[in-house]
Amino acid sequence: MIPMIVRLDVRDPSQRGIVLLFPVILVWILVFALLIAVFPFVLVAALFTIGQGLGKRLLLFYPFFFGTVFALSGLRVDVMSHTNSKIFISFD
Amino acid sequence: MGEGTKKILEMLHQGKISVEEAENLLAAISSESASTEGPTTGVGAKKYLRIQVEPDEGGDRVNVRIPLKLIRAGLKLAAFLPNDAQSQVRHALQEKGIDLSKLTPADLEELVANLDDLTVDVEGKQKVRIHSE
Repeated sequence: MIPMIVRLDVRDPSQRGIVLLFPVILVWILVFALLIAVFPFVLVAALFTIGQGLGKRLLLFYPFFFGTVFALSGLRVDVMSHTNSKIFISFD
Repeated sequence: MGEGTKKILEMLHQGKISVEEAENLLAAISSESASTEGPTTGVGAKKYLRIQVEPDEGGDRVNVRIPLKLIRAGLKLAAFLPNDAQSQVRHALQEKGIDLSKLTPADLEELVANLDDLTVDVEGKQKVRIHSE
């Protein structure tokens, strides 16, 4: 499942905290549209450089990149300092 | 819903435990029940790598949950780094005594499968716990 929302929670006892729910799906739509748009050029570049081994890499970049983006779902980072400042990032 | 889950939710409701503690307890219960139901299917049962750092005094508490799929995908994507950059990263890691050059995705699978619960004490100041769940 592709991560649709990134939750960013920054809290500091001395300041107002920030809770941000960012619809990261919008970023993915833009990125995927860009990747699809440049795909013909990548394909041509891959055909020209396939002899050097770079072409295969160029073509494999797409599935590996999509795999990484889809695997981001469930990533959580939670850091709390001794002064009770807190940073929480979650890809859901 | 099991008795243990109910009890944890009651304790959370009463404010005796925090949300994080409840989450850890629920994860522990689910892993226990999975192990009593029968042998797990290796890595398929584990979805996340959890790294927890708990300082004794004055440090930062870190709790990171990394999907295992992300680690595998990252290893594949790392192959796209230029060779010069890869060798520089490898060299920098080797200077710190870490040699990842022979680590393949298959090795990682095996490593994670055997990484049930590893606790590392770092110089007695921090407790680092790495486990899969």
